[in-house]
Amino acid sequence: MWGSWKFWLVMAAVGLMVALFTYGFTTDPKLVKSPLVNKPAPAFDVTRLGGGERLRLADLRGQTVVLNFWASWCAACRDEAHILEAAHKRFQREGTPARVIGIAVQDTPAKAMAFAKRFGKTYFLALDNERGDIGLNYGLYGVPETFFIDGEGIIRHKQIGPVTRKVIDEQVRALSAAPGAKP
Amino acid sequence: MLNNLGYLSLVAALAIAAYGIVAPHLGVRSNNWNLVRSAQFGTVAVFVLVLVASAVLLRAFIVSDFSVAFVWENSSTDMPLFYKISAFWGGMDGSLLFWELVLAGFSAFVAYFYRRTNREIIPYTVATLNVIQVFLLFLLVTWANPLAVTAGAPTEGRGLNPLLQHPAMAAHPPLLYLGYIGFSVPFAFAMASLIRGRLDNAWVVTTRRWTLFAWYSLTVGQMLGGQWAYEELGWGGYWGWDPVENAALMPWLTGTAFLHSIMLQEKRNMMKVWNVTLIIITFSLSILGTFIVRSGVLNSVHAFAQSEIGPAFLIFIAIVLTIAFALMFRRLRLLEARHTTDTLLSKESTFLLNNLLFMGMAFTVFLGTVFPLVAEAVRGTKLSIQAPFFNAIIGPLGIALLALLGVCTLIAWRYSSAGYLLRNFRLPVLLGLATAGALAAFGIRHPGALIVFGVAGFTGAVLLIDFGRTVVVRGRQLQIPLWTALGSTIMRNQQRFGGMVIHLGAVMLFIGLAGNYFNVEHNITLRPNKPVETEGYTLVYKGMQTKQQRNATLRGAEIEAYRNGELVEVLFPARSFYPTQPDPLTEVAIHRTFRHDLYLALASENDNGASVTLRVLINPLVVWAWAAFPLFTLGTVMAMFHRPRRLAEPALARNLGLSGS
Repeated sequence: MWGSWKFWLVMAAVGLMVALFTYGFTTDPKLVKSPLVNKPAPAFDVTRLGGGERLRLADLRGQTVVLNFWASWCAACRDEAHILEAAHKRFQREGTPARVIGIAVQDTPAKAMAFAKRFGKTYFLALDNERGDIGLNYGLYGVPETFFIDGEGIIRHKQIGPVTRKVIDEQVRALSAAPGAKP
Repeated sequence: MLNNLGYLSLVAALAIAAYGIVAPHLGVRSNNWNLVRSAQFGTVAVFVLVLVASAVLLRAFIVSDFSVAFVWENSSTDMPLFYKISAFWGGMDGSLLFWELVLAGFSAFVAYFYRRTNREIIPYTVATLNVIQVFLLFLLVTWANPLAVTAGAPTEGRGLNPLLQHPAMAAHPPLLYLGYIGFSVPFAFAMASLIRGRLDNAWVVTTRRWTLFAWYSLTVGQMLGGQWAYEELGWGGYWGWDPVENAALMPWLTGTAFLHSIMLQEKRNMMKVWNVTLIIITFSLSILGTFIVRSGVLNSVHAFAQSEIGPAFLIFIAIVLTIAFALMFRRLRLLEARHTTDTLLSKESTFLLNNLLFMGMAFTVFLGTVFPLVAEAVRGTKLSIQAPFFNAIIGPLGIALLALLGVCTLIAWRYSSAGYLLRNFRLPVLLGLATAGALAAFGIRHPGALIVFGVAGFTGAVLLIDFGRTVVVRGRQLQIPLWTALGSTIMRNQQRFGGMVIHLGAVMLFIGLAGNYFNVEHNITLRPNKPVETEGYTLVYKGMQTKQQRNATLRGAEIEAYRNGELVEVLFPARSFYPTQPDPLTEVAIHRTFRHDLYLALASENDNGASVTLRVLINPLVVWAWAAFPLFTLGTVMAMFHRPRRLAEPALARNLGLSGS
């Protein structure tokens, strides 16, 4: 038996299959990496929630952009609301060349503003249009999702699910240190 | 208190089953038959203990005892009793307990009723069955405890997923499990034969009925799953090549090959290596199937239950495959055949081709199912293998199999002369061509469909002519009227008649599948009382209605369907709302004829019923596929009654306790 090549062939096939499924445990089948990473961020043109200034992605050239997609009906967005707000305040205080932008998807102005007020969001918030074009362009699968865009408008990282302080700090530090960042 | 009793029963069962692995080996080694008998009694004890635990869980469901976490997760007080019971296997832990219960029952049956026959291999059979039970009981006692308690005493449960509150979905898991577990018995006998080195046909003959029963359960389980998908999911199809569906299909493919291949071993002592390989693979695939479904390792729309016991399953599969194949290779010389296939044009070679085709299909399904994982491991990309891949390969292989069915039935053992072939195949081939030709003349031009219908005509003709000829000859020989000859032929050839009926069912199934070539789908928007013509029907929307149905509220559109000016049916495509679930479910409406199904699904209700948008599908020949079910049932029942009356080896006959060899 030990000398039989057929035996070893069968054992090798079994081993290969077990190895493959073991690998399968290290991946999350539901997690789809964004094909937009290292590609230019899709442009958007929005008006501030509650009326006011207009903002285009191009206006943010030279700064690191933390682009957060959220919704008032999204439970997990509550978890990260204070983290994003704290980051915004930190950037202002320390003069980091980074902006936090929040786009609400499939939401109404009234509900979005109520959510923002409740969680004390002071950074730039806007609403996606009825068709959800911005969400579609960014390949949004759900909320919350956060994109980290460098000073030249290239998406460098996509965070699925609530963002943490650690992730924000790491990404912003890496992207702001890169050439092209303006103070 | 009672729940603790149930849990302790499982622990005790685990201990006795573990004893039942060791005792038979020790008993045989030290020639102490009492040790072996104690293990056999042990299997009965294990069954009783697991039955107690199951009764405890069932009681918890019936009285809605939500202190049991599993009951809380899968039941609610508003559910009808029927679904409170079926919730037993509505989740991981309960379905594992159900699996163990049935396996324990089968093991006890085997240990008791076969204790005098198969004396040489029964100790090892019992030991192997106990190995599987120890695996399941270990999971039940550690990570998958169905009797674990909730924190606090909730007064209401989460409720069974409404998708599962359908009669077909209630029956689907138990039937599949019966199939998987049914294959454990031939597997255990095969392992015992290998361990003992006793490689005659005893294990094959003994387990023939188990194999047939397991095959039938898997077949019906999958048909029910398809029927449920067709009626409940609302996309208009019954098979989507989803990993979970494939997980059940793979052991069915190799199991069907095994079912046929063992006949060749029984009759001609051939294919022993094939048969051992096939049963090892079938059993492993059935465990793998549960693993794929429950571990969440593959992305699936069916990913309803993911738990931490995935690694345990994988380890068990690895151990089973390694030890089983090692045992087989150790006994390889004893397994090799005394007779070989003489020529290409013989029944033996069609059986070989049968095995190859089924293995090819199983391998294709396996590859397509795990390939996304391979792609991710090698290239880091996510991809998804869908129906086009599977249909492209399985389709032609299936048609080849349908043709082979006809060829194998008529061709002779060992050698068929050219004259023999011409004489016997002439009529069926002509009938097959005539079928295809007639359909083409009626306007059907799709080449794939014409091939399927033509081959179906050929094979159907072979089956009926072959059996009919036997009846006629018998009638002439015994000088009895044809009706009597028919009855007596059936009763004397139960296996053959049963096989023919099942194969006719397969032909019907293929015809039904061919209907998919002609599926049509439209979206139409209807306003009240304004008829719309589509696909030969005139549909009139009468208005929206809300109906209460047990624990669900239905809101749907009343649609009158007319054909040639006559009202054929009033249909009610709707959405159902369950109190414990946030999202509604689709309830499709089907008008079924022999030619096609008129299938309506409610897409949207606009402006509070001012208009309604429907998805209208015409699915031809669906009822032909479902018609296979009664044929499979009848054929299986007939074949179960067959008793092998004469065996080539007298010693074998004595060993099996059969008289008059």
